[in-house]
Amino acid sequence: MQLLTTAFCMVLTLGAYHLAKTLNLKYRHPLLNVVLLGATFVIAALLALGLPYQAYAPARSLMTALLGPATVGLAVPLFRNRELVRRHAPAILAGIGLGTLTSVLSAGWLAALVGLPHDIVLSLLPRSVTIPFAVEIVKLHGGSQALASAFVVATGTLGSVLGATLLTWTGVRDPVARGLALGTAAHGQGTAMAFAEGPDQGTMAGLALTLAGITTTLLAPLLIRLLVPA
Amino acid sequence: MGKAVRVIAQIGVLALFQLLGLRLAAVTHLPIPGNVLGLLLLYLALQAGLVQLKHIQEGADFLLRNLVFFFIPVAVDLMNWGGVFRQYGFRLALVIGVGSVLTFLVTGHASQWLQRRRQPCSS
Repeated sequence: MQLLTTAFCMVLTLGAYHLAKTLNLKYRHPLLNVVLLGATFVIAALLALGLPYQAYAPARSLMTALLGPATVGLAVPLFRNRELVRRHAPAILAGIGLGTLTSVLSAGWLAALVGLPHDIVLSLLPRSVTIPFAVEIVKLHGGSQALASAFVVATGTLGSVLGATLLTWTGVRDPVARGLALGTAAHGQGTAMAFAEGPDQGTMAGLALTLAGITTTLLAPLLIRLLVPA
Repeated sequence: MGKAVRVIAQIGVLALFQLLGLRLAAVTHLPIPGNVLGLLLLYLALQAGLVQLKHIQEGADFLLRNLVFFFIPVAVDLMNWGGVFRQYGFRLALVIGVGSVLTFLVTGHASQWLQRRRQPCSS
């Protein structure tokens, strides 16, 4: 019975993914985010069938087992574009370094300012990096994986709706700089928007997504001790 | 070797590097996630020529093309957290909104400034 439920949950998730992806490709609207939409379909189906979260958990651990190898695989686009990284090294280092610091510090300080509870603050800090990095950061330093993923998706959605306009308004026209900003501030969702602007912006955003993820992971122990004293 | 077999074998190589990263994190007690160490180890192995792109790129490209699929099961956990958004929704929106604007401005302007300083004549 457990085995059957697990198999059903996996088929359900695959179906939800395909439906969400089809809708997203058809309407091309950033609010039709595949992660959010797919998870909503799965949750709605579980609730409608009266299945508790515990019934879904085994399927979840099976499916997320590949997140680790996928994260390791990010070395491939990074290595393919190593010439490009070298050529634009100053802009990449400064943009991603300062951008990452701004993202984590602003989240920590603003969260303290409006008085959010401890575990929510910890889940907010990695909100600008792509989900596999964010999940690993909260696993190591505390916080909720689900909340962190939701904040990542919220940040990415906002960034993909407003990011390009904000950059244009404030006079950021350089394609490398636009790509770096979209990838650093809005991870994969920003990268999708950057590719819509052009291949230069898109490739840069993809590199920024990986490099910002690594930078945030490396700075996290220090910044978390500073922002959220235990 | 068929394409599917190749993709699966290459994902196996990536999983091996993840395992190496996890071991390294455990042995050294570094506060860095094992799969991020695995990513760095794989990059170094590529750089050193110990691993070639053709040994892993089909597996990596397959996983990265479908990366979003693996995020859905993580987000399903949200069914346990509905209350947080009812209680703190406005404050969360404020933190994420203001923080995102700042991140965009700092990253965009810092990198554009350096790009322009380096190539004053072009474009």
